[in-house]
Amino acid sequence: MAQVKQPADKSHFILPDLGEGVHEAELIKWRVSAGDQVAEHQTLAEMETDKALVEVPSPWAGVVTELCGAEGDIINVGSVLVRYGESTGHPPASPASDQAQATESSASEEREDAGTVVGSMNNDGDAPSALTRRRTEAEEVPTEQARALATPAVRGIAKQLGVDINRVLGTGRGGRVTASDVERFAQESATTEPPSNQPSRNRITVADIPEHTSAPSNLPTDATAGREPILPPVPVDPSGTTEVIPFRGVRRKIAEALDRSVKTAVHFTVVDEADITDLDRKRKEYSAITGRKLSFLPFVIRAVAHGLREHPALNAVVDEAKSEIHRKGNLNLGIAVDSDAGLMVPVLHNAEKLAIVEAAEGVARLAAGCRDRSIPREELTGSSFTISNVGSYGGRFATPVINHPEVAILAVGRGYEKVLAKDGRIYAGLSLPMSLSCDHRVVDGAEGARFLNTVKRLLEDPTALLG
Amino acid sequence: MPITTAYETRIDHVSILDEDGVFDETLGQGVIPEDQLSAIMEHLVFCRQLDETAFKLQRSGRMGTYPQNTGQEMPSLAAALAIDKADWLVTCYRENTGLFWHGLPPECILLHWMGDERGNHIPAGVNATPIAIPIGTQMLHAAGLAWAEKAKKTGAIAVTFFGDGATSEGDFHEAANFAASLKLPVVFCCQNNGWAISVPSSVQSAGETFAQRGISYGMPCVRADGNDLFAMTKVMKDAVARARAGEGPTFIEAVTYRLRDHTTADDARRYRDAGELEAWEARDPLPRLQRWMEAKGLWDKSQHEKALKSGEKRVAEIISNAEGIAAPNRSEFFDHMYADLPASLKRQRDSKRTTSLGQFPEDLA
Repeated sequence: MAQVKQPADKSHFILPDLGEGVHEAELIKWRVSAGDQVAEHQTLAEMETDKALVEVPSPWAGVVTELCGAEGDIINVGSVLVRYGESTGHPPASPASDQAQATESSASEEREDAGTVVGSMNNDGDAPSALTRRRTEAEEVPTEQARALATPAVRGIAKQLGVDINRVLGTGRGGRVTASDVERFAQESATTEPPSNQPSRNRITVADIPEHTSAPSNLPTDATAGREPILPPVPVDPSGTTEVIPFRGVRRKIAEALDRSVKTAVHFTVVDEADITDLDRKRKEYSAITGRKLSFLPFVIRAVAHGLREHPALNAVVDEAKSEIHRKGNLNLGIAVDSDAGLMVPVLHNAEKLAIVEAAEGVARLAAGCRDRSIPREELTGSSFTISNVGSYGGRFATPVINHPEVAILAVGRGYEKVLAKDGRIYAGLSLPMSLSCDHRVVDGAEGARFLNTVKRLLEDPTALLG
Repeated sequence: MPITTAYETRIDHVSILDEDGVFDETLGQGVIPEDQLSAIMEHLVFCRQLDETAFKLQRSGRMGTYPQNTGQEMPSLAAALAIDKADWLVTCYRENTGLFWHGLPPECILLHWMGDERGNHIPAGVNATPIAIPIGTQMLHAAGLAWAEKAKKTGAIAVTFFGDGATSEGDFHEAANFAASLKLPVVFCCQNNGWAISVPSSVQSAGETFAQRGISYGMPCVRADGNDLFAMTKVMKDAVARARAGEGPTFIEAVTYRLRDHTTADDARRYRDAGELEAWEARDPLPRLQRWMEAKGLWDKSQHEKALKSGEKRVAEIISNAEGIAAPNRSEFFDHMYADLPASLKRQRDSKRTTSLGQFPEDLA
């Protein structure tokens, strides 16, 4: 990774690559406070990369005015870590500083995607900024107990105003609570008596969503949940029939599940192709090293796991009865398997934690279990996203049906050789077709496309994928 | 016929100033002149300060990556003390002390790790090669340099450094065989720090020592305490004398330990035992030499304070020099590999295109 360029005026310190090819680091502990005078090489923070726990020193002497992140945050390389200035008093508490950090550089590129969405995306609570690659579990699954994300400066303001920061709805980067959020909350609390059971800070109520946004109209309501069409059966002419097969058993189960899915979820499908020329080389290297033939599937699993971490909206299930969307912290990945009896979807638990070879072995084990019917029940339930590897049978694109009550499914077509172009250069490469179906009630078009983009980007960059 | 012994050998382990501070007067006699020791101590203090600061430069984004030398200062310094200005140091990347003593400006090392190729431009008059990152390449270069010096009858020799892991590379065996067969004036010094990154010696080799790897090529092999400047200098001087006398190469195994991570991209705590590190910290070569010199009245606390202060100042100057050099421009990418740039690369440089299919449509016509 290219070295980041620090500002010539030393006004802020941008988190550099702390190892070789490190893209992010978790902030473990601040070793300075806002207002501290620091010396060159003095440790600012302890951070943990995927490689090491490291101390990050100050590149110059100065007065730290703002710590841009809370302990436990994932900070991306290229983001501002601390700001320096002359004042030793309170750090600038304007929301602008938080926002600037979130929208600097690549945020505008993200915005361009908004053109594909239905309506407009002006509440990006579901759309992580380009600078936030991973969210903490607390962010993914907001609960009453969740600790708000906020800078120490904002916490200070909340304390001064007597506001419980954990009750404030964060509008900043990754749901971060900004100074203006706190002030607004304090004003509102002053005019209206706060209810005893304040909704959790991250739960957006219908009142929070501007009227011109189309999203809420698609949310499940009592009227649509569990709707059952009552249609008269169409009579069938038995002449010419050579065989009559009772519609039951596994076939019936499959039919019921799919029927329920298409009648409940509002499907849309987005397709793309990834250039897997480089990945194919890596795959062959891995195969040679591990001595087992690897398909692309474990690599796709890895890309999907990364992608869902960035786009947690797609790793979820819908509870129709309670009208709730449950986002999942772990990836319990459904793998569509073609057995003698028909389609089965065994579950690869905690797929995000698996190494490539472990994923390959897991899939092989599950598939074998489905084929000889030895698979335990626990391994057939509890998935929150599904991959259908249709390519192993042939075909490029598909319109996969969501494995209800999940909200998205990815069908992976057969990789094929084709003429590709990059940087004005044409070459013979390998292309992997992908088709993503999402439940539009839960996932907007832009978010689905972003997730697919992330998966594509990772598949095209094996170093990022496997690093 | 009865069974007879075809070959028998043993490996000596040389120690002069041991970790308890006991000095072997017989072996240590005159190895390093006493009047040279305070300059050596100042140099070591400075090198360690630079090493620790370079690590922080990487962590604050001012350097791409950096492999710390701390703990392994003595072997290369011993070589620099044992050779002449016209002799070659052919190193990998944990030999800063020797390189700087031999005359390499420290700015070169900083520039290299800051990603500026011009750091590999060794000033005229300094007989050292650019530090070798790929494991093992430099041993062949050293054999070649020694061969050239032998052909030119200059009397100059080469000392090359590599790690324990590098002795598992084919390059090492080729260089060792070539040098020994042709009796080349070269010294092979293996810095055995116990770990080939995260692979322990016990996994790396079934041999009891690394020194014995030289035996099969027919060169004398010796092991020395790599954290003992006197022992290292003694075995180096012996090896250099042999090389200069036309008796061919020597293999030295310096038993040492890297007290820091492999590089800034590593976290040795993930594979090394804390107890092992602690044991080696007690064998840290710098405090060992410092305590002995203080006991002998060759160094004192105030000299140490002074060395720290001037070292700190010098480190700051060197960093400022290295950071003050304007970044190279893109076309310089082509400037440092070939004396005469091949036509295909000239075309790439001038057109800013690669020669991949379709980049030069006129070629396809």
